[in-house]
Formats: sequence, structure tokens, C-alpha cells
Amino acid sequence: MLGQLSRRSLADLARAAPTPRWGATLPLDDIAGELAITGIGETAVTGPSGRTPRAMALDAVAAAIADAGLRPADIDGLMVSGHIAEQIGPDDFHTHFGTQHPLWFSTEGGAMIWAATCAHRAAQAMRKGIATHIVNVFAVDWASRRAAGTGAPGDWHAGEELKAQLEVPLGWLPQPVYFATFARRYMHAYGLTETQLATLPLTFRRHANEHPQAVMRNRELTLERYLASKPLASPLRKEDCCLISDGAAAWVMSPAERARYMPQVPAIVDGVGHGCVQGAPYISQQQELTATPQVFAAPWAFAMANTSPAEVDVIAVYDCFSSTALMQIEDLGFCRKGDGGSFIQDDRLHYSRPRQRGGIPCNTHGGLLSHGYLLGASHIVELVKQLRGTAANQVQAAERAVYAGFTADEASTLVLSRGAQ
Amino acid sequence: MSIPDYHHSLTGPFWQGAAQHELRLSWCRPCAQAIWYPQAACPHCGAALHWHVLSGDALLITWSEVAAGLNPHFSEAYISALVSPVEAPTVRLVTRMVQCAAQDLRCDMPVTVRFEKLQQLHGEPYVAPCFTVPQG
Repeated sequence: MLGQLSRRSLADLARAAPTPRWGATLPLDDIAGELAITGIGETAVTGPSGRTPRAMALDAVAAAIADAGLRPADIDGLMVSGHIAEQIGPDDFHTHFGTQHPLWFSTEGGAMIWAATCAHRAAQAMRKGIATHIVNVFAVDWASRRAAGTGAPGDWHAGEELKAQLEVPLGWLPQPVYFATFARRYMHAYGLTETQLATLPLTFRRHANEHPQAVMRNRELTLERYLASKPLASPLRKEDCCLISDGAAAWVMSPAERARYMPQVPAIVDGVGHGCVQGAPYISQQQELTATPQVFAAPWAFAMANTSPAEVDVIAVYDCFSSTALMQIEDLGFCRKGDGGSFIQDDRLHYSRPRQRGGIPCNTHGGLLSHGYLLGASHIVELVKQLRGTAANQVQAAERAVYAGFTADEASTLVLSRGAQ
Repeated sequence: MSIPDYHHSLTGPFWQGAAQHELRLSWCRPCAQAIWYPQAACPHCGAALHWHVLSGDALLITWSEVAAGLNPHFSEAYISALVSPVEAPTVRLVTRMVQCAAQDLRCDMPVTVRFEKLQQLHGEPYVAPCFTVPQG
């Protein structure tokens, strides 16, 4: 199955005749091999902590800078999310570290899709000589906010005007309802069973059980318990839905030619892809319910990296819901559309089954379902650890890693490889 | 909580129709198709839109049984659904399945409109276009 997946070039993709589609690929500059992730940092990922996003972000940034063997004054670029939660700015950085040098600042960073596309934006800044060592950080305190009743991930959804008038009064909220209906349609189209779907939360939970920093490290989950629990929004159960967490994660990006002289094994950025849904500004109106815009992102990233899914050792997929992760594994190209339910059987996603034995280890830290809800930022940190060979659930000989980012109407892909030192 | 605003410039007529047991969608006459969600004008030809009364027959695209408590605005469990009106197959009308059991539902089955009074916690009741499985 995997052997049939061949390499395609960016030129091939650019030449491909446009066909009527429900989404599109955003063409990104070829930045293959230009930069690397040279430092990673993270705070504890927890339930309600009472910590502010600013404090957590600065701790993660400090850890990433130290991990890269740099000083705060060496960092001349800061990337954060412009969309989600409260993030830090240059003033916070300078106040915390006692610095005052010029700091290029971008709100095109953070987590979700931006955890991948920030590398493309960083490469552009490096090409122009605007910045050399750029730190990207994402922090969130939604566990504390939920506990205090002062905010939740669904707030934007409930407040948008047309949704408030045409969706909320009918009960089309919160987010599990959207993805549950999509999962139902997928089951109808491809015969996915609840037991097959359970493979994702069960495998990610086993990863979390062996990962000392995972929120669910001490909570075992069996298929019997999963099936016995009542769905929250059928067919999705609580275990199919992401956690709500406090925490922060950060990473330093540096030019690849400098990375080889820095202390850590570099994770080279080989490819980035970005896809989006078109003509459906509301998720309820998306015409294709059984796929994700990952189908428009992944081919570009693989072409830029001059590689294919057959050559990937470990993946981290945005698993806001189990069904969303399953669709993205297909849409990345690891199996044919609709074959995902059978493809993921026999421990294929578990870290103990490496690529040479037909596996494709996925979310080896536990993912959003069992590690913590840092919206994909921890996924990147985990992949860098895998390429360094320092992960808690280390995949044998991990040389190439792929992140799949997702926001519902957009998706992104990041291809990383273990660099030379 | 967000209850229908009968005077909203874009969506008020949808709820006014529901109160009169009419299922209405915003429609472009020159393009002969629904424009959903409503906009100030047709995005294809610029024509003014009007509200078109539909038959109420639709296909069930998908559904989910939502447990009580997941949505804090409603006290009871309910079946959330997306249906496509037969006159507007690309529209995904956000609705509910009512007067039927989840185990009797399957994707792509024909369903028909049924106007039901809904009420959110601490809110006034309103008539909403829900759907059900046709009898016989």
C-alpha cells in the first residue's frame, strides 16, 4: 500500500490542472533545508493551574533558548498566535529577560496550523536578514478559565453573528457536535466501526501512560471501558475528545548552516504545506464531510521535502477529535481514503511498531486526547525529541517526522528530518 | 445563550417563517438557487435576495445524539442534524431530528420538516424548523 505512494515535485503540483474542488493549496516558497529547530522548551501541561499564559509562555521560551545553547539577547525574532488565547509580545520578552535589542515580532506563529507554517514565515524573515534565531511560543490557560467560568474554546463559535442566529438556537454547539456529525457521515461512507475508532484514543492513551509529562499518565483506558461509556455526542465519547489544559511550549528556529554548530541535533525543516476549505466559511456548510483540508496541504509539503509518506518514521497529528486524526492520517497519504479504520489496526500507530515493521507511530506523547491540549505545540516538541532520539516513547531510528496541523477550515503539514551535526 | 432575533436584517425572516410554520431559505432568483448563509446580495450576480418557501422535504446528511449536559443551554438530550432540502442540495441546514429515535436514522434517508417549540435555559420559547422521519 505504502510502496505505491511516489514522490511528486512542486513543479508537478503547480502544473496540475485545476479541478472543481472543495478546497485549495496555498502555494508556499520552497524553503527546504533552509532552517532547523534548534531548541525546545515546555512547561508542565496540567489541569487548572492558576498560572497566567504570560508566565507559562516565558518559562517555555527560557527553556527553549537554554536548550538551543543561546542567550536571550541572541533571539531576534518572536512568533506567537494572533488568534488564540493571550500571548506574549516583545515588551514581555524584554521585561522578563532584561534585554532591549530589536526583536522582529510576528503573530503568524503559535500552534494549530501555525505550528507548521511559522517555519515558512521564519524562513522568509531569515532570507531578508531580519532575524536569525526566532522563537515561536504558544501558551494557553483554558483549564483555569473553564474552572473559573471565564472562557472556553467555544466562545468565538457561540459569538459569531450568523452562527448565533442560525446554529446556536438549534443546539449546533459545542465543537464535539460538529465533529460527531462528520464522524457519523464517515462511518456511513466507509463502514468504520466504533471499535476501530477506539484504536486512536486507546493507542494515544498507552503512549501517555508511558510519558511522564502527559496529563493522562496514570489513567489507563481499556476497550471495554471505552465501549461501555455513553457517547457525549454520538458516535464520539469523552475519550474521543481533546483534553482542556494549561501549559506552554516553545521552539527556536535557526538557519540550518548555523544549526550544525549548535548543541542539539537539529530538526531540519524540509517541507511545509498549507491547505484551506473554499466556499464554506461555516463548517456546517463544508461540502466534503469525510475529509480534511489536509488533502490540500500534505502534497505540497512532501513535494518540497522531496519525499513521500512511505519514507516517514513518526507523525504527530492534530487530534482535537479521534475521527479528525483518522481522516488526516488518510489525507496525509498514509493509506487510501476510507481505509483508515483497518489501516490503524494491529498497533500500527504505536511507537513500538516502527516503519520497517509496517507501523507509522502517531502522537507518541499522547496527543491532544491524552498528553494535553496545547493545540499542537507539544506535537512539534515531541517530534523534535523523536528526531534527537530522546523521546519517552522513542521510535527506533526515527529520521523523518511529519506534523499535521488543523483548524477545521485550514490544515498544514510540516516535514522534519534529523540533521547532521 | 443566543435566541432568534426576529428583526435581524439577514436572518430575521428565517425565524419569522418558522413562527408561521414555513421553511424559508434566502434565494437568488436570477441564479435560481439558495444563497446560504444569507448575505446582503447574491455573491454570484449581485442581485437582491429574497426568501423562498421550501416544501420541507430533505435528505438527512448526518446526525449526532447529544447527551444532556454537553450543551449547557439545553437541559435535555437531543439529536443534532444536518439536512439538505430537496430544492437546495448543497445547503446543509443545521437542525434537529425530533419525534424519532436515533436508532431509526440513517444517512441519506428522506426526512420532512416538523415545526417544534424549543426553549433554552432561562430563555423564551421559539418555533424552530426541526425534521422528522415521514410516517408510512
